[in-house]
Order: sequence, then structure tokens, then C-alpha cells
Amino acid sequence: MFGKQLGRLLAGVFLAMAVCAPALAKDQTLMMATTTSTDDTGLLPVLAGAFKKDTGIELKWVAVGTGKALEHGRNCDVDVLLVHAPGAEKKFVEDGAGLNRTEVMYNDFVIVGPAADPAKAKGKTAGEALAAIAAAKAPFVSRGDDSGTHKMEQSLWKGANLPLPDKETWYVSAGQGMMATLAMAGERGGYALVDRGTYIAYEDQAKGAPALVVLVEGDKPLLNQYSVISVNPGKCKAARFEASESFRKWLASAKGQKVVGDFTVKGKKLFTPNAAK
Amino acid sequence: MNYILDGLRQAFVLLVNGDPETFSAVATTLIVTFEAMAATLALGAPAGFLLGYASFPGKRAVRLTVETFLSFPTVVIGLVVYAFVSRRGPLGEWGLLFTVPGMAVGLTILGLPIVIALTAQAVENLDRRLRPTLLTLGARPRHVFFATLAEARFGIMLAATAAFGRIVSEIGISMMLGGNIKWDTRTITTAIALETGKGEFATGIALGMVLMAIAFLVNLAATATRRRSAA
Amino acid sequence: MSALYELADVVQRYDDREVLRIPALSIESGIILGLAGPNGGGKSTLLRLLAFLEAPAEGEVRYRGEPTRGREYALRGEATCFPQEPYLLKRTVRANVGFGLSVRGVADIRERVDAALWQVGLDPARFSGRSWRQLSGGEAKRVALAARLALRPRVLLLDEPTANLDKDSAELVRRAVLTARERDGATLVVSGHDQPWLRAICDDMLWLREGRVSAPVLEQGHSWPAAASTQASEGGQP
Repeated sequence: MFGKQLGRLLAGVFLAMAVCAPALAKDQTLMMATTTSTDDTGLLPVLAGAFKKDTGIELKWVAVGTGKALEHGRNCDVDVLLVHAPGAEKKFVEDGAGLNRTEVMYNDFVIVGPAADPAKAKGKTAGEALAAIAAAKAPFVSRGDDSGTHKMEQSLWKGANLPLPDKETWYVSAGQGMMATLAMAGERGGYALVDRGTYIAYEDQAKGAPALVVLVEGDKPLLNQYSVISVNPGKCKAARFEASESFRKWLASAKGQKVVGDFTVKGKKLFTPNAAK
Repeated sequence: MNYILDGLRQAFVLLVNGDPETFSAVATTLIVTFEAMAATLALGAPAGFLLGYASFPGKRAVRLTVETFLSFPTVVIGLVVYAFVSRRGPLGEWGLLFTVPGMAVGLTILGLPIVIALTAQAVENLDRRLRPTLLTLGARPRHVFFATLAEARFGIMLAATAAFGRIVSEIGISMMLGGNIKWDTRTITTAIALETGKGEFATGIALGMVLMAIAFLVNLAATATRRRSAA
Repeated sequence: MSALYELADVVQRYDDREVLRIPALSIESGIILGLAGPNGGGKSTLLRLLAFLEAPAEGEVRYRGEPTRGREYALRGEATCFPQEPYLLKRTVRANVGFGLSVRGVADIRERVDAALWQVGLDPARFSGRSWRQLSGGEAKRVALAARLALRPRVLLLDEPTANLDKDSAELVRRAVLTARERDGATLVVSGHDQPWLRAICDDMLWLREGRVSAPVLEQGHSWPAAASTQASEGGQP
């Protein structure tokens, strides 16, 4: 009998403590929203480690789709964004939700597909490859989640003057992260658009026998630009503007850029630092 | 088949070597589940008890509402709580989003209907002779209350176990409210989702095995308690 | 000798169905009153009224000279009912027998529990630690009786206490009942079908049929002493 009453009292205390706890840990933390593909590259822990060493600020991040990341920024859930969807980013800043958008690095996208390449996409430009895939009605698996990758894919279809094939039977909208999307494409013997970093990780996991190989690369529209944006403290009173500016400047500085440039996945360089000097 | 066996083997290696990421996820799961269970029981058991014990106008409507919430999709719960605890929401000041207590709030809302409905049922299923027996032995209202609670203890324990099962294996709410932040709010379930999404089958299996072990131990403890108090 | 209970124009109904109608009944303090009659005749209802577990739909029940309507909760401690199918709490035998004592804050619970168990023929050393699940039907019934005897109530109301009990157990109950009167000065009302058993312990008998006091149904060759200590008027046909 007393055990139960005591237990309940403890629970109440615990909950009260727990609610207050976050308030105590606030000083040296920076909350970032980024994308799942960025998280998957493995760059973030390296950046966070170097950043903490230099500034003592602990970087924490949630990895969601680009759309959700921007929404977190608008809802003041985070202090800083690291995304790769220039169109949406510019609107974000125009709307006053973010400040000081700074381009920091880029990687590229590639179009992958089965080695047999039934649609004969290999070696073509991005636009031509997509046209070939559509003509052959070969399976194409899309992120379908409003992410930066998804937006890039949509811009490629438009760039090739092709209608968005949402309703076509050969087009699959996965609604998931990059690795899951690739897994699905592999299972179905289909094509997909993927950022280089995730592909390197995917290829490595497949241990020399990946179901998908790179068929189209290097075409200009396939470049993937990353930017850092600080959440506007005018709109979000609780945003840790100082810390996010510190991160933004650090990442654009020689130190941050070196970390980016030195980062490799399975021995292959992934990002090209391109912050304006 | 090799794929699965390989995964199992690597999982054992991870666990035996005390992989810190794995164990961080386990620790977070234990803390979140504990907090959510404590709140669920503290709020739900008395509410369920009253629902089963007392008669009041509108009792059936309340019962119906609670039972409807039993099948509420977890993503909707996550969404609603997010709307409240997000910085822009009414409870934004409390800074609950992307924290363990924030997840616990969502999970508590998940577990409450279970505990309330099952406790109410346990109380209603009590023998009709209980009350007159207590009264004729001279029990005053507060004695009747506590003795009835004690008689319903097995049903309440069942309710707690059911809520625990739902809470510990939940993923949608944990993902939405916790953000799956490494070392911070990454639980076993969100870690499994992340790892399998990245293709890390072995880590996913390792975590899954730990989750099953936890569930097994809790049920074992519940069964043992039941047997001990019967003796 | 003053009347412990006085019933006047008492009517009891369940869901508009009349189950008991007693225009007048008085019960002396310190007697053992038997209740006989067919099933469904109202015996259990009368016992529950006397135990203050229910209030009559109409009429008045006086206890020790005072009307009881509205005060039932306070009087339940004085009159304890032992129903036909008693319920045991999901606890040990000791906890069951001691429950009534613990809610009263009695100090020497252990001794009284042991004494009560002995009274119903159960060795405390063997039985007090057992859980309710581990008792046979007869043992459970005796434990329930012990729980009531332990209270030493002023009034003990027993509804078919020897049903489903073997001869030896029935004998134990008989002795326990008599001890309650002799040692504790209790007043008892006992209902049952076993007329020889009832006659062996009761000072007086009351017959209930279809909710009304009726004429005695005597077995052949026996007579019944004129009721001097119990007065009841027949409400219905003889």
C-alpha cells in the first residue's frame, strides 16, 4: 500500500525534475536540423567533434527530410539549418525565417541503376538519361519525401522538359530516406537518383556486389549545394543565435573548410568545400 | 539465410564488446520507458479505478471515449503532441521537443487509455460479493476503497504490463518528439529504424535482441510478483 | 429483557418486486433465533436487513431502541453477516481473518486470529499462511466464519452456515455459535434447512414463506415451545 503511494510520489518528482532538466543543460548546446542524406554521409560527427574542440559548443542535430528541416526552422524547434535545397532555402530567408544563408560545400548526385541498364541511360546527360528511362518505362524509385534529393530529382525532370511521372506505374514514390530508397531500387532492378556520399556508403555495404551502379555523373545540374542558415532570432526568441553564427562562421572559415575537404568515405573524398573566401 | 546468421553473429559481437552507441540507446529506452510508465500509472490507475468503481452521469460516454483512444494511431498522437511542445506551440516554453521528457509525454498519452480501460475493467470484474463482505466486516469507506484496490491488483498489473509493451516498442512518437539524436534521444526502436534504413542489419538485430530481453525480464518480474503475492 | 431489534411495517423490494413484508417483529437480546422456510422465502433478505447491509424500502427497523434508517454504515460494526456463499479476499488466511480487526485498529490481532481459527477447527500453524487459492470449499467457508467470529460482534447473522459442510464441521459451527452467545453475549439469527440442527441450538424459530412470516411447519411428532421471547404477527395467510 505505501509502496504504491511512494512510487507515485517519486513519479511526480521525477517528471517535475525531468521537465526542468533541459533548462539546465542549455548553455553549450547548439540544435541543428539537417537532412537524412547529410546524416548518412557520416560527416556530422566529424564536424561536431572539430567544432566542439575549437569552440566548446556541442552540436546536436535531428536528421529529417529537407521539408521537415525547414519546418523545424520556421517552428523555432532548432537554432541552425544545414540543408541542400537552394530554392527552398532562398524562400526560407525571404520569408524572414532565417538569416545569413552561407554556401559552404557541395557534393554531387549520380543516377544509378542496374548494371544491365535496360533503358540505356549510361553516359548520357541527366536530362537525356531520364528521358530514356521514361521511354523504356523502366522502374524508377524516387525519395518522394519533399527532401533536397527529391527536389533535385523534380528539377531534373522539369529540366528535361518531361512531365513529372508521379502517376506512371513504373515510377515509385518511396517516401523514405536515401538508403531505404536505394534498397528498394535494388530490389526492383530500377533506377534512382542518389547523392554521391550515400552511394559510396551503399556500395561499401554491398561489399563489392552492389545491385546498383553509377550510370550518369558529372553533369552540371547534378551538383548538390549545401548551405548553413541561422534561424532568425527576431522570429524565434529562444534561438541561440550567437552559437549558430559561431557555427556558421566556423564552417565557412579555413578551419571548417579543411575538415570538410579532408573528410573521406571509404578512402573517397565526398565534399568539395566552396565557402566564399 | 547467411544474411540473417551473419547479422546475428555481428550482433553478439556488438553486445559483448559493449558498443557504446548500442548501450546508449538501451539506456535511453530504459529511462524514457520508466518515466512514461511512472506517469501513466500515477495518472491512469486512479482514473481507471474511479471509472470502474463509481457511478456518475456520462460514465458510458467516458468509457467509450477511453476505448476509442485505445486504437488511436501513434503518429497522430506524435503529431498532436509535437504541435503543443514545438517552440511555436502553447507549451513551447517548456523546451520539451527533442528531449527525453518530451518523448515521455507522448508515450504517456499512448499508455493512459490502456491503463485506464484495463483498470476500469479489472475493477468492474471484481466479485459482486466483495463490497458487502467488506462492509459487514466493518470497513469504512476508505477501507473499502483500498481493499477494493488491493483486490484488483492483478488486473492493474496486467494493465501496466500491457501499457509497458506498447510503450517500450513504440517508434513513431519517439521519432517525432525525440528526433533520434545520438546519445540524447536515440532509443532502441528509433535506432533500429535508423540502422536498418542505413542497411546496418547487425546493429538492428543487436538492438532488437536487447529489446526482447527487456520485455522478457519485465514479464518475468510481473509473473513472479503475481505468484509471490498469491502465496 | 429488552428487545434488541424491532421491525415495524417493514417491506423490502428489489426492482419493484416485493420480497419481504413483515408488519411486526421483535428480537430479544441474547437469543438464538432460527429462520426456516423454503428457498426464496426472504430469509437472506431479512438477514441482510438485520446486518444493516440494506435499508428497507418501507417501514422502520429499530436497533437498541433507536431508528436505524440513514445510520446503517455506523451500525455495520455491531452486526455481522455470514452469507450463504462467503467471499474470501485475495490474501492469506491470516489476512482474511484479521481484516475486520485491522480496520478497527485492534491491537492483539494475531491472538484473536489464532483463537478464531481454532474455533472453526483449523490449526493456525498449518493454515494461517495459506493463500485463498489453496483452500477447499469447506475450509474457505470456515475461514470466512472465523473472520466474523474474530470480531466478537454483538449480533451474528448466519445464512445457512452448515450448507456443504460435513457432520464434523457442522458440529464445529454449532459449538462456535454457542460460544459466541455464552462468551460474548452475542445475539444470533441463523437460517437453514436442517431442522434438527436448528432445533438443537435455537431458542426460537421463525418461518418465512414468500416474504411473509407464516405458520410453523413442524415435523411429525415434534412440538415447538410457545414463543415467549419472540413475537411476530402473521402478515399473510396461515
